[in-house]
Amino acid sequence: MTVIGERSRIRKMDWRRWLRRHGWTVAAWALLLALIGFYATLIPRFGAFQISSIAKNSLPLVYLSVAQAVIVIAGGIDLSVGAMLVLTNSIAAQLMVGQSFPITLIIALGVILLAAGINGGVGWIISISRVPDIVVTLATSFILSGVALLVLPSPGGGTSEGFRAMFTGSATGSGTNFWPSLVVMAIPVGLLAFWMRRSRTGLSLYATGSDPTAAYLSAVRTARAKVVSYAVGGAFAALGGLSALAITGSGESRLSTGAGFTLRSVAAIVLGGVALTGGVGSVVGAAAAGIVLFTLSPVLSAMGIDPNTAQVIQGALIVVVMMVAGIVEVRRQRSE
Amino acid sequence: MSGPRRGLTSSSPRAGYQSPGPRGTPIELTSGSLLASRNVAKRFGSVVALRSVDLVVEPGEIHALLGANGAGKSTLVKILSGVHRQDSGEITVHGGPVDLRRPGDAQGAGLATVFQDPALIPDLTVGQNLRLTDVPEESVRAWLDRMGLSSLDFDALARELPLPVLRLLDLARALVREPSLLMLDEITAALPADQAEQVFAVMDEWKERGRSVLFITHRLGEVLRMCDRATVLRDGRHVAVFAPRDVGESGLVEAMLGEVAREVREAQHTPTVESSSPVVLETVEIRSKEQVNGVSLSLRAGEVLGIAALEGQGQDRLFELLSGDRRPDSGEILVNGEPLNARSPFDAVSRGVVLVPSDRLQALLPKRPIRENLGMPLYSRISRWFSIAADEGARVDNAVERLSIDTRAARQAGKLSGGNQQKVVVGRWLAAGFRVLLCFDPTRGIDVGTKQQIYELLRELAADGAAILIYTSELAEIPLVCDRVLVFYGGQVVGEQPAATATEESLLTAAHGIVEKGAV
Repeated sequence: MTVIGERSRIRKMDWRRWLRRHGWTVAAWALLLALIGFYATLIPRFGAFQISSIAKNSLPLVYLSVAQAVIVIAGGIDLSVGAMLVLTNSIAAQLMVGQSFPITLIIALGVILLAAGINGGVGWIISISRVPDIVVTLATSFILSGVALLVLPSPGGGTSEGFRAMFTGSATGSGTNFWPSLVVMAIPVGLLAFWMRRSRTGLSLYATGSDPTAAYLSAVRTARAKVVSYAVGGAFAALGGLSALAITGSGESRLSTGAGFTLRSVAAIVLGGVALTGGVGSVVGAAAAGIVLFTLSPVLSAMGIDPNTAQVIQGALIVVVMMVAGIVEVRRQRSE
Repeated sequence: MSGPRRGLTSSSPRAGYQSPGPRGTPIELTSGSLLASRNVAKRFGSVVALRSVDLVVEPGEIHALLGANGAGKSTLVKILSGVHRQDSGEITVHGGPVDLRRPGDAQGAGLATVFQDPALIPDLTVGQNLRLTDVPEESVRAWLDRMGLSSLDFDALARELPLPVLRLLDLARALVREPSLLMLDEITAALPADQAEQVFAVMDEWKERGRSVLFITHRLGEVLRMCDRATVLRDGRHVAVFAPRDVGESGLVEAMLGEVAREVREAQHTPTVESSSPVVLETVEIRSKEQVNGVSLSLRAGEVLGIAALEGQGQDRLFELLSGDRRPDSGEILVNGEPLNARSPFDAVSRGVVLVPSDRLQALLPKRPIRENLGMPLYSRISRWFSIAADEGARVDNAVERLSIDTRAARQAGKLSGGNQQKVVVGRWLAAGFRVLLCFDPTRGIDVGTKQQIYELLRELAADGAAILIYTSELAEIPLVCDRVLVFYGGQVVGEQPAATATEESLLTAAHGIVEKGAV
């Protein structure tokens, strides 16, 4: 029975190891809280309106970061997530205009499934052709952007008031009720995180990204894992497009929007602790980093810094965070 | 040794059951065979890996699959595991044809493989790895308890565990699937002796249950001790099937090497070191984080010094310190009497201290040509007009010739066989020049013939005045190459023996830390 005693001792030490293993995710959330705390000291009246503004306006980037995180964890990278956001945004805006809330919900579901199907197909092409992810997804990003412009040549379209309220807390897209935004953010991300860590399919995404050879030898269906990761990523990119529609109340299909979103999603996952080499990190950390990246803009403008300089500061901040984390990691390995 | 030797005394009903078949003749299939592969062939591009192989495994036997590097063992195992698909030929399990398109198919057919590189996902915990592959934790725990790993923490990441533990874990995971044929690919390579014993015990038990084991190893002693029958591959064909005990070690080697068979005798090399030779490498009480606890050793020019140790006694860290990968916490490393003070391997290399690691691909540029790999260390010397040292070509040619590297597959070093890769690793230091060669398990997973060549090469280098420090996980090889051997235990040197009189037994006893102290 000594063995069992030993095991329970190991269990007790768990929180320390948990902290070490998920340190980056915890740090990303701590950074977010610190940033919001700092923001609160900068402006005269910080309250529900500001929280609501951050919560809802960061939704598109959070969904997109999560989409990118799932794909990168499984060993890929998707340069078309931003274009997918724009495409789904355009399609939904075109279809939802003048519809009732229940109908818009059905359309939303259809758009999510469509995006998952398209992106799953992209994943399938990558896995059978063995062409690098970055090449295939760069090409598909042009296709998706082009289709978006065909669907919605100029900004327009619309959605139902209920649909806007579901993401933003108010029918007009501005208000002080931040709960709906937090709920639509937390539930999909939380479910996804749980699924990825607990289910066999979810673990197979980590396995495929971490060591594709070992995964294949352990009878993991690595090609299927790739398709699944891209499909889930597509679905989350669609959520991003839908949330953007809910925030602005109309669709917009400019090419540059998608490209900018894609790059920020990559920056967010790196900041959120997802290794670009795959297999490491969590969607929860990526979500926090997505909010951080969004929140930087209001914080920097509240400090009176002009937008151009703000860009430089954002980039520098990412580099510094990465550098500090890198040095901490090297130190830790040295001391072992 | 942890227990009486098994296998040697247990008489198997199948021992000596089949006489060596003449080369290439098909082996008769008996209806009760567990696994039969017939005329299996496989080529990769222009390289023929398997020409035509028959392999028959009966129920309740331990069957060895032998062959020199490049004979096709790994390819055959990968085909039987569903990793590769044969170009032609058929495979039957219990008499019925099977089509193994992916690893899951092989598992479904009752064939389970433990590969040399454990198929565990480094970034997942042990528990998650088991869940991923749909194996219940309790059953794995039960096997691990019996293999002496009852304290293994299932919440540890696979990357945090040492290789021997991962191998046994992979073995336990395979056993839980209750396969009718267990395929073990070089499982004992780099496995410490006590853990190898655990593996042998499992193999014996599997046999007693009427199931079978296909055992791939380069250690012929293990074949003689454990295996009922052996199939020998050479050049992509099966050339012999026999009971190892009938033919003995020399018979096995002859079958593996064929016409070019050279007797691998325990060659008594002539010592090339004299007491007047200068000390080239010396350490004074070096320590590092409780893994190296005050090691002092000295190595003379022309000497081959062996390190004998069980797995995980700090030898890894010792080599890291000497090769400049890490600085000691205290103590000093002297090269030619002057402190090394290396901040990175670059400093050590520039002082002539170079490392040959056990993981050959770690040291090579696997996707670059052989010549470029050989020339790599020369690239740090920029000569006039920013071109590389003018004699690069000559130095590289010299190394190629001296090592008799097979440069036909010269496009990518990674495509060479393990033995040739290791020669390239040694060869690039040969081209660059060095004083001290640190070899960490240089013959891991290398066949008998190439091993012999590598040892001959090391002796030649020593005769030319090089100082060589070598750790090998195969204790039996120490007398073949070393002048002197240090026994390492718990991060300390606990004993020293002249290599000529050292035996596997004497080293093993000492390496368990029960040295002469026990006699006091």
